[in-house]
Amino acid sequence: MPTFDFFSLLWWGLPLAAAPILIHLINLLRHRKVQWAAMEFLLASQRKFRTRVLLKQILLLLLRIAAVLGIVLTLAQPRLRTALGQLLGGSRTAHVVLLDDSYSMSDLSAGGRIGESSAFDRGKLVVERICEELTAAEGRQELAVGRFSSLTGRKFDIERQTVTPQVVQMVRDELAGLVPSASDCGPREALAAAVEVLGEGTGAADVLWLVSDFRACDWKVADETAQLLRQLSDAGVELRLVDCAFGALGSTGSSADFGASNLSVERLEVVGGVPATGVLVPLEVAVRNNSQNVVRDVQVELREDGASRPGLRIPEIPAGSVAVQRFEARFPQAGSHLIDARVAADAVAVDNTRTAVIAVVDRVDVLVIDGDPRGGGRAADAFYLTAALAPGSGAPTGLRPRIEPPRAITTLDLMAFDCIWLLDVERLDPAEITALEGFARAGGGVVFFMGPRSRAEEINRTLYRDGEGLFPLPLAGPVDLLPEGKNQDPVPDVVVEEHPVVAVLSGQRNPLLDAVRIERFMAVDRSFDDSKEKMPGGVGVRRLLSLRTRAPLVVERPFGEGLVVAVLTTASPTWNNWARANPSWVVVMLEMESHLARVRRRAELLEVGDDFTVTLAARGDESEVDFLIPPDGTIVHQTAAVTPAGTLQATLRATLSAGAYQARWRRLDGSERERVVAVNVDPDEGRLERILREQLDRTLSGVKFQYDSAESLQPDANTFAGVSLVTPLLHALLCVLLLEQLLAYSASYHTTTKPWRYV
Amino acid sequence: MTPASKRFLPPEAIARIARLELRARAVVEGVLAGLHKSPYKGQSVEFLQHREYVRGDDLRRVDWKVWGRQDRLYIKEFEEETNLRLTLLVDGSASMDYRSGALSKYDYAATLAASLAWLALSHGDAVGCAVFDEKIRASVPARTKRSHLSSVVDVLETSRSNRPTAFGPVLRSLSETLPRRGMVVIISDLLGDREGVFQGMQFLRRRGHDLVLLHVMDEDELTFPFEGPTRFEGLELPEHIACNPRALREGYLAAIEEFLANARKRSAAARCDYSLIRTGEPVDAALVQFLSRRSSTAV
Repeated sequence: MPTFDFFSLLWWGLPLAAAPILIHLINLLRHRKVQWAAMEFLLASQRKFRTRVLLKQILLLLLRIAAVLGIVLTLAQPRLRTALGQLLGGSRTAHVVLLDDSYSMSDLSAGGRIGESSAFDRGKLVVERICEELTAAEGRQELAVGRFSSLTGRKFDIERQTVTPQVVQMVRDELAGLVPSASDCGPREALAAAVEVLGEGTGAADVLWLVSDFRACDWKVADETAQLLRQLSDAGVELRLVDCAFGALGSTGSSADFGASNLSVERLEVVGGVPATGVLVPLEVAVRNNSQNVVRDVQVELREDGASRPGLRIPEIPAGSVAVQRFEARFPQAGSHLIDARVAADAVAVDNTRTAVIAVVDRVDVLVIDGDPRGGGRAADAFYLTAALAPGSGAPTGLRPRIEPPRAITTLDLMAFDCIWLLDVERLDPAEITALEGFARAGGGVVFFMGPRSRAEEINRTLYRDGEGLFPLPLAGPVDLLPEGKNQDPVPDVVVEEHPVVAVLSGQRNPLLDAVRIERFMAVDRSFDDSKEKMPGGVGVRRLLSLRTRAPLVVERPFGEGLVVAVLTTASPTWNNWARANPSWVVVMLEMESHLARVRRRAELLEVGDDFTVTLAARGDESEVDFLIPPDGTIVHQTAAVTPAGTLQATLRATLSAGAYQARWRRLDGSERERVVAVNVDPDEGRLERILREQLDRTLSGVKFQYDSAESLQPDANTFAGVSLVTPLLHALLCVLLLEQLLAYSASYHTTTKPWRYV
Repeated sequence: MTPASKRFLPPEAIARIARLELRARAVVEGVLAGLHKSPYKGQSVEFLQHREYVRGDDLRRVDWKVWGRQDRLYIKEFEEETNLRLTLLVDGSASMDYRSGALSKYDYAATLAASLAWLALSHGDAVGCAVFDEKIRASVPARTKRSHLSSVVDVLETSRSNRPTAFGPVLRSLSETLPRRGMVVIISDLLGDREGVFQGMQFLRRRGHDLVLLHVMDEDELTFPFEGPTRFEGLELPEHIACNPRALREGYLAAIEEFLANARKRSAAARCDYSLIRTGEPVDAALVQFLSRRSSTAV
C-alpha cells in the first residue's frame, strides 16, 4: 500500500472527486434551449449513437474523476511501500533507533554550563530528524524505535514497521510526551533487543542508531556492550552512534567535560539503633560531588513525613568525593515514616533527592532463651542481659526482651524477633537447632553465651558440626584465664578488635573495658585457627573481642543471611565481672543487638526499574493489593498469585519513578495492612563522566561504526533507497488529462472559437 | 463573400426592410439590372425550339413533320404569347420559423415568393399565391394586374400558423383547383410530410404543371454547428433531446445528407426543378441563380 507524505490532504482532496459528477448534474440543469425544426434527423442520430454517446460520457466522467484523484494524490506525495516499490528500483532498509532515556540524559549541562535543553531533548530531535530523512528517502524504509528503559523488557516503543508519514507522525507524538526515565538503564539491554531484531539478518540494509550520552558509567560492562555491537557489525548492520551530550557550546568530548555541577544524594539510611517509638534512630546521608570542581556549603534539605525538619550543611565536598553526614530522628508514632534528603537543583535533577522508609514499631521484641531451668533471679544470665537491653523507662532502648526456655524455640514464631539470645543452654533438640538455623539463614541474629551448663562436645556435635552448623567455631572446653605474672605490667583481660560493634570502645585504652576481668571462658579447639577459617565468599569468623592471651572471647560468623555471635564467657558475672556495674556491658550488648538485627531491620532497597513485591499470608490476607505509586499516588490494583515456591505474592513490575511506594491490602479479619518501600535512582547514573572517544575506539576496536554529535548529524537521504510515486503519478495524470481532452473533444464537450448561437 | 456577391443584398439588409413588398422590390430591382430575357416558356406563335417528347406532353404540340422525317417524336415549343400562370406555394408551417440569421426560413421564402411574383407581374404574367401548412391557410388566384402584387404580399404576410405540414392533401387539392396549366413554385423546407410532397408533385405534374421546388434550409440545419449542452425542442414534433450536439452531429449530418439526396432524386423523378436555397445566401443571389438555371433550361 502506498503511503503519503501529506496524508491530511487526502481528507480534503478526495471529496473533490465528486466534483465532476456534481458539475455533470449541474450541467444537466443548465442546458441551453433551442427550438429546432429538423428534429427528426436529430432523433435519428440519437437513436443511432445513443449507446456510444452514453459510454463516452461515462468514460469521460470516470477520466475526470481519475484526473481529480490523480492531482490530489500527487499533491499528497505518495510513496510505494510494497513489493512493487521494491521492484521499481528501491531497496529495503531497516532502521533501529535506540534512544537512551536513562536519567543522565536529563543533564542540562552540555557545553560546560546549564542550558535549557537536555541531552534527551537533543536525542528526541535526532530521532525526529532521522524519521524525516527516512520519509524523504527513496525505497522502502523500516523503522523501530525503542528507549533503553523500554527495551529492558525487550519492548520497542515503535515496533518495526514501514516508514510512512503516519508512522513519522506517530513517532513525533510518542516523542512529544517522553521525558527521561529515572532508571539507570544502559545500552546493553537495548543492544541485546536490537540484536534480536537485526542480528539474525533481515535481508535488508540495516542501520542501528544508538542515540545516547555515552556516559562512562554506561560502558562499565563495555565488553558485553562491545560484543553486542560487534555481533551487529558482523551481521552487516551499519552502526551510527549519535552523541547527545557532546557539548553544543564547543565541548571537547573529553572526560573533563562532564557536568558543570551535579550532586547526587547517594545514600540515606538508618545506621543502627532500634526503630521504635520515642527512640533516637541514627541515620546517615551521603552526598557525592560528581563534578570536576570542589563544591562548598552544600545544604541538604531534610523532610520527615513530608514536613520540613532542620537540614544539614556540608562545608565542602571535594571533586568526585562523597560527604557523609549523620543525623538522628525520633518518631513518636509507630508505622512507616518517610525521610527525604534533597540537595539544590543542578544539572541533573533526578538524583538530587533520596527517600528512606523507616518502619517504626512501639517495641522490638528480643527473645532471650535462658538455659537455667530454675530461672536464676537476679544472679542469672538473663537478668544481666535484659538489664542491658532494656534498662528501664529512664533510658528507652525500644527493646522488649522476652525470656523463654529452650523449648520456646519450636513453639514461637521466631520471625517475630530480630535477635535470639541463648544464655548458657545445656543442649538443644534437633528441632530447635533446625528452627534456629532457619531463623539465622533468613537474616536473623543469634547470640550464644557460654556458662557452666555449656558442654563443648555437645555444642561441637550439634551446633558446630564441623563448620556446617550454626555455631561459629569448635570448642575445647571451659578453662580459667590465668592471672598475669606479678612482675608484668597490668594488661586488660579484654582486647578490642576491629569491629563496628565495639568500635566505640576501640582506639585509646578504655578504662571501662580495662576494668573487665575474665576469670573463665570456653576455650576454642586448638586445631581451629580462626584467621584461616574462611567461608565461601571470603567471609569467615571475625573477632569482636579477644583475651589478652589472644584467645577469642567474642566472635562472629555469618550464617545464611544472618549473623551468629558466640560470647565465650557468661552473661552474668559468674565467669567474669563485665556485667557488674560496667557501662561498657550495656553499650556492647545494645550495639550487638543493633548489629545482629541489621539484616532484619534493613529497609528494602529498591532502585527504579526493580519490581516491588509484597508477600501475603495465604491464610490471613486477601489477595487484592493496591499499589500507590509516587509522586501522585496513582493506584495500581494487582491480584496476588501463588508462586512456584508456594508463597502468595503481589508484584508491581518495573517501577518507573523514585519515591515511596505503598502497598495496601486487607486481612481476612477486615483489618488493613500496608507496606511502604523507598524506590530510589541508582546514584551511579549521576556520574556524568563520559567515555572518551579514544576509549570508545579502543573498546569497539574492530567494529566499524560512525560517530556523530547530535548537532552535526546529517543523515544522508541518498543513502536510503526507496521510490516516490510522484513522478509516475504525474505521467499517469498527464495521460489521463490528454485522454480526457481527446474524449471530451470527441464527445462534444469542447467549444470552438465559433460563437454559439441561440435561436 | 466574393466580389460578385457583393452586388446582392445580404439577408441582413433585406431583414431591415420591414414590408415584404418593398423587400421584393429591392430584390427584383437588383435582379432586373442584369436580366432582360423572360425565363418563362409557354405556347406562342413564335417558334422557340424542339425538344424530345416526354410522357404527359400534349400530343397536339408534337411536330409530325419531324416524326415523318426522322421517326422520332419532338415537341415544338413556342414563345408564350399569353401570360404565364405562376402559382407560388409557400410553406407556412411551424418548422419554417427557424432562423439562425436575420431571416427565418419563412421570411426568406416569403421574400423569395414576393420577388418572383414581382418579376412575373412585371412581365405581364399571372401570379397566384397560397400559404399552406397542413392545409391551405390563404390564397389568391392568379392575376396579371400589377396591383395584384399587394394581394400576394398580403397573403404571404398574414397567413402564418404553427401547424405542421401536410403536403399531400394540399398539393392534391391545389392540382384539382388550378384551372390552367402553369408553373407551380413550391417554396418549403420539406420538413414534415415528405412523402406527401412528392406524391403531390406527381399530381401537379400529371396536370401539366411546370414544377419548381425551392428547398429552403437554414445554414444551421445543414451544418449543425451547435456546441455545449443543449436541449433541442421540436418546432413541429413534440419530442425534445437534451444532448451534447457534437456527439450527434455526425449522425445528424448523415441524415440531412440523405434527406437532401432523396429530395433531389424524388424531384428529378417528378421532373421537378429542384434548388436548395440556404437562408444565409442573399435572396437576390438565390433568385438570380434560380432564374439563370431556368433560362439555361428554357425551350
